[in-house]
Amino acid sequence: MSSTVLVSLRVAATPERAFEAFTREIGTWWRPNALFGFTSGTPGRLAFESGLDGRFIETTPDGRIFEIGRITAWEPGSRLAFTWRQSTFAAGQCTEVEVRFDAVGAETRVTVEHRGWDSVPDGHAARHGFPDRIFLLRHAEWWRALLESLGERSAAP
Amino acid sequence: MSAAAQLDRTLTALADPRRRHVLELLRERPRRAGELARAVGLRPPALSRHLRVLKSSGLVREAHPGFDARVRIYTLRPEPIAQLKTWLERTEQLWERQLAAFKAYLEQPQ
Repeated sequence: MSSTVLVSLRVAATPERAFEAFTREIGTWWRPNALFGFTSGTPGRLAFESGLDGRFIETTPDGRIFEIGRITAWEPGSRLAFTWRQSTFAAGQCTEVEVRFDAVGAETRVTVEHRGWDSVPDGHAARHGFPDRIFLLRHAEWWRALLESLGERSAAP
Repeated sequence: MSAAAQLDRTLTALADPRRRHVLELLRERPRRAGELARAVGLRPPALSRHLRVLKSSGLVREAHPGFDARVRIYTLRPEPIAQLKTWLERTEQLWERQLAAFKAYLEQPQ
């Protein structure tokens, strides 16, 4: 386990169709989750404003708009990336989500990678004086080892 | 402090290799400040600056043994790490559910 979450699933659609449904139709398929609400109160409807630097927003039932993040990669049929901030996050804190669409025969493998605070891109990391990507990798390994060792400890009688 | 702010502090505390070294040593067992300074190769004042950061982030707890109030013993606190683990588990669960919903939507009969 590292501070990056990776989840993958195969869908019966072309990468182009999967990308389109993921972005333009997210308001229809997304299931609101109480633990992961972007805002407090009744969950609203999600939407991506298409194209690079477009907003990823939630519109609450009373019409308020909360900006969850911005699109940092927009490659229809292959890759989408966006920043992700929940209302409980402190100012300036952000995580990043990358979604890849890979053709597997007539189907598409959709892979979501959600990077946590310690592994977000260089701009944010620089704020904490992280020197480089190699360091970030080692850092993730270190976390993995630490989490495993603590897991063993808590499992011990 | 919000959960996110706590997590940020945890990670900032971990950004320094000497602080990570201290945590590695404390993973084995609680240790005295002097012992940590020798093991990490730092003079006591430099080490105590790092210990302050670790304490304020909640990764380490300081205690004085009953027999001598001048001695300081440091112990690892698992809570901030457990919090990171919770974030990872919840995020993973969230995406598993969302991708399942996405697949069901995409593959529904027209």
